[in-house]
Amino acid sequence: MPHTGQENPPDLSVIVPLFNEEDNVRPLYEALSRVMQDQGLHYELVFVDDGSRDRTFANARDIALQDRRLRVIQFRRNYGQTPAMAAGIDHVRGRILITMDGDLQNDPADIPKLLQKIEDGYDIAVGWRMKRKEKFLTRRLPSMVANRIIGWVTGVPIRDNGCSLKAYRASIIKQVPLYSEMHRFIPAVSSVAGPQIVEVGVNDRKRLHGHSKYGLSRIYKVILDLITIKTLLNLIRHPMRLFGGSAGIAMALALLILFLETHTALSTGAFSLMQMSMALLFATLGIFLIFLGALCELIYRTGNFKLDDLSLLTATVDGVVPELAIDRPGDQSDDCASGPTSMGFCKDKAAL
Amino acid sequence: MSQVELSVIVPVGERGGRILELYSTYRDAVAKTGFRYELIFVIDGLYREITQGFKDVKAGGEPITIINFSRSFGEATAISAGFQHAQGDLIMTLPAYEQIVSDRIPELIAACQDPQTDMVIASRHRQDHWFNRFQARAFNQILKYFADFPFTDMGCGVRVFRRQVLHEVEIYGDLHRFLPLLARQQGFSIREVQVAQAPSDMFFRLFRPGLYLRRALDLLIAVFLSKFNKRPLRFFGLLGAGATTVGLLGLLVLVFQRLVLSQPLADRPALLLCALLLVLGVQLIAIGLVGETIIFTHAREIKEYKIREIIN
Repeated sequence: MPHTGQENPPDLSVIVPLFNEEDNVRPLYEALSRVMQDQGLHYELVFVDDGSRDRTFANARDIALQDRRLRVIQFRRNYGQTPAMAAGIDHVRGRILITMDGDLQNDPADIPKLLQKIEDGYDIAVGWRMKRKEKFLTRRLPSMVANRIIGWVTGVPIRDNGCSLKAYRASIIKQVPLYSEMHRFIPAVSSVAGPQIVEVGVNDRKRLHGHSKYGLSRIYKVILDLITIKTLLNLIRHPMRLFGGSAGIAMALALLILFLETHTALSTGAFSLMQMSMALLFATLGIFLIFLGALCELIYRTGNFKLDDLSLLTATVDGVVPELAIDRPGDQSDDCASGPTSMGFCKDKAAL
Repeated sequence: MSQVELSVIVPVGERGGRILELYSTYRDAVAKTGFRYELIFVIDGLYREITQGFKDVKAGGEPITIINFSRSFGEATAISAGFQHAQGDLIMTLPAYEQIVSDRIPELIAACQDPQTDMVIASRHRQDHWFNRFQARAFNQILKYFADFPFTDMGCGVRVFRRQVLHEVEIYGDLHRFLPLLARQQGFSIREVQVAQAPSDMFFRLFRPGLYLRRALDLLIAVFLSKFNKRPLRFFGLLGAGATTVGLLGLLVLVFQRLVLSQPLADRPALLLCALLLVLGVQLIAIGLVGETIIFTHAREIKEYKIREIIN
């Protein structure tokens, strides 16, 4: 992405989707800038205005005109949180990305904690709101149940999928397909790349300005999406296995009916038209499914989501992962014995 | 030649018999706006008299471009082809037959001058036969209900929009009718302006049955594109799960009747119906999954969002 005016890319990019948050823009900007400057980081902020109908964009633009480290992306209309995050991810240049909510419920002061985890060698650091400030029955209980289900189904047991405060290695998250309402499942989807995921306890604060945009109604959509994503992830890994398996069941059913029918026919001397057609029906289904599996293989081959690319992103070569250490002026902290500019640091395998 | 500001594209198809008489009406209406304009007539098929007529008009020094297709490619293709040759920043499409009273044309163009509006569509205040009004209303109500599309006259070809709209929205086949719907999906803002229907448009029409079928398919595509664009499984999965559930429940009842109530199974058509529903359901779900695979593996090319502006 063209990012003229800045000569070397920032280490860290913070992505914040905003939707009708006119009162939160400036406090958010100030809080984030304070944290970044305290840490002495080379950073950029990316505010994505998701088609707000209030002064969100105007307020953000006023700040951006004074601070070149703030980039503002305005959508033509409201697309939702996931596209907003996707747009941010597509337009950042940092090697480490942080995503957070625009309503100040995430505490910018938690960012250094997440950052440290990425520097320690984790690929994804996920915020976990330890003391949530919301109503138990309508918000916290459903979310606890949902998180359990998500963790159980996807095999990535994260205690708080709903927390937007997360940190990623840019090279990985940029490869993960992100659309519709998938932001809740980023850790699950990126699990195909085999990343090291760690949870970090973060603050949860009460909303100061504006009002919440979520309700209970999203639960059924989450569950539907969950089933879809789980199936998709299996399908992508082995297209023929899923379709072939279903085809096998259909074929087995057809053969079973055929066998039973032949057995009966031998004693009674007549085939039942109804049961023979059932057998043929299931056999047809089986063939149909096998060809759909082949079609999926073809689609995967022509697509740009390649598991091979992902495998290298999280791989270690000779026990070393790509350099991610951040230059902080006057800061000598380093986890490995090697200097901050040398290749790599120890990869912590004790994730999760 | 001075810079053209407004390009008017007129696709001339089978209903374009009177276009030569209409030409001066359109030209005068467009000229009233004061824009530097051009008129592009796309003749969709072999209509020799019309082509010859326009050649004569052009020979008379009028600012028109004539694009002549060798066969009929359809209205959407005609509009796209006209757009390829259009130079203006503002594009207007007009039908080759009078749909609205032409003195309202300048007003529509003026409405699109507003920086917050990317597209202006005309909606006829219809006064023709009740049957035509009824079918148009049904069509638009279906769109409103299933595709959340609030505008009331998709059949009206009078539209003014910024160049950017056709740059980003691809139309083909019969999709020109849904241009506003597709444009809105891309995040363009659309305004509808009520105008009076032209007297010559108020006649009773009965279309061929095949046309109704095509419209119904168009509607299905429009609804699918607008609602389940990114999540095909939500559409196919719901239908498939419904069919599978009904089929399975039916099969269970039949098996129960066979085993417990000892009713013979072999000669019951209900058995075949349930099995068919089950198979249909599985097929629908599988097709939805194929759709999801397409989206998932191509998600990084198909951008879901449209950006208006980036600062810094």
